[in-house]
Amino acid sequence: MEFRWEVVWNAMPQMVAGAQLTAQITLLGIGGGMLIGILCGLILAFRIPIVRWLVFGYVSLIRGTPIVVQAMFIYFALPMALDIALSGFAAASLCLALNAGAYITEIVRGSVLSIDPGLTDAGLALGLSYPQILLTIVGPLALRRSVPPLGNQFIISLKDSALFLVIGVAELAQRGEQLTAQTGRALEIWTAVAVFYLIMTFSLAMIMRLIERRMPIL
Amino acid sequence: MSLIQCRGLTKDFGGTRVLTDIDLTVEPGEVVVIVGPSGSGKSTLLRCISVLEPLTSGTLEVDGQRLGAPGVSKRDMRRETGMVFQQFNLFPHMTARENVTIGPRKARGVSRREARRIADRLLERVGLTDRADHLPGELSGGQQQRVAIARALAVNPKVMLFDEPTSALDPELRGEVLQVMQGLAKEGMTMLIVTHEMRFAAEAATRLIFMDEGRIVHDGPPGRLLPEPPSERFRQFLGDVGGKDPSGTGEKPPPGR
Repeated sequence: MEFRWEVVWNAMPQMVAGAQLTAQITLLGIGGGMLIGILCGLILAFRIPIVRWLVFGYVSLIRGTPIVVQAMFIYFALPMALDIALSGFAAASLCLALNAGAYITEIVRGSVLSIDPGLTDAGLALGLSYPQILLTIVGPLALRRSVPPLGNQFIISLKDSALFLVIGVAELAQRGEQLTAQTGRALEIWTAVAVFYLIMTFSLAMIMRLIERRMPIL
Repeated sequence: MSLIQCRGLTKDFGGTRVLTDIDLTVEPGEVVVIVGPSGSGKSTLLRCISVLEPLTSGTLEVDGQRLGAPGVSKRDMRRETGMVFQQFNLFPHMTARENVTIGPRKARGVSRREARRIADRLLERVGLTDRADHLPGELSGGQQQRVAIARALAVNPKVMLFDEPTSALDPELRGEVLQVMQGLAKEGMTMLIVTHEMRFAAEAATRLIFMDEGRIVHDGPPGRLLPEPPSERFRQFLGDVGGKDPSGTGEKPPPGR
């Protein structure tokens, strides 16, 4: 079977639109995931009473269920239970943020705990307050240490966004499915989809590498 | 007025008693060297005095401020003591100067310019003016420990606490740190030093404390305790750390420590 380039060429506008949507969902997902993850990770690292059990429950729930099930739940079950309307895009972004947030929680917790407690002692001995120590010493050091695992998580989240084809969000993978149905050319379409994902994940990896280089891991 | 006053200080870790009923009073200008076998509670005592460890029972007063008294925060008390750690514990992402300025800036609230002036003066005093813009990772162990001393001095503490400040250093780097400490002692700084450097104890200390199994066993001038150890336990300890030569005439610390 020959590879027909014109199929790829004709599908290009749809693919680009799908890639844009994938990028938007991913950015919202990892942005929200970072907010959730930093907050929850600090709660776990500093063993804040009571709330840490809520966080523990959240992380267990997300890590213990497939993301497809989470997407289905948020898109179909949640609106029914709460009697609200949720667009596919909103459900996808929310789902990705909640999912990434759980993993980022663990990344943040691990990074904070990996910082030598002697540095906190040194800060306390100088008369610094806990918030000051977190902001000027432990936080910056933990952030540097979390860059490599965060990059990993960002790439996983980007690829996980392909799953939202199950809730009909017109992101890249869903476009691939539709284009295949329209053209009957699975080879060309899925090759092109894969290349699009590769370009996006590779760019993300390069950005993380750049950040890593600009702040030496201590 | 006494600078440090512990009464009946006791500390447990889990079910293990690490310090038992410690009574200790330190007057301004005293240079107190605490020695004892490993596990005797020396470091824990310093950590209690610097309010890094909560007491199990007993009282602690630093410069008249009593731990747990109304209106006295732990943070207030910690500012009165400067702590120098065995592992230096410098902030690795900050230059030597930033390590020294952070205390005055954040804990004392002095201006950026004033903090820099304090830092430059203290770095000069520990002989590291030309290393001010280096990160700790670029400094030798001895230089790092001297920065750590400058950092602790920068918040203007009433008492300096040293927790085995030379134990993590190669023998040839210990001298530069001990020299800085000796300088402080000469200037009248009140100091509490946990160390195995018996020569330093003999030369710089005004008072020597021997701890064993969480208790203060001996407490007196080094000139009296070292030549005639009052107990077999202390005599044996001095033999173990190579302190049989308290006159300090040239005996090197034993290898492997």
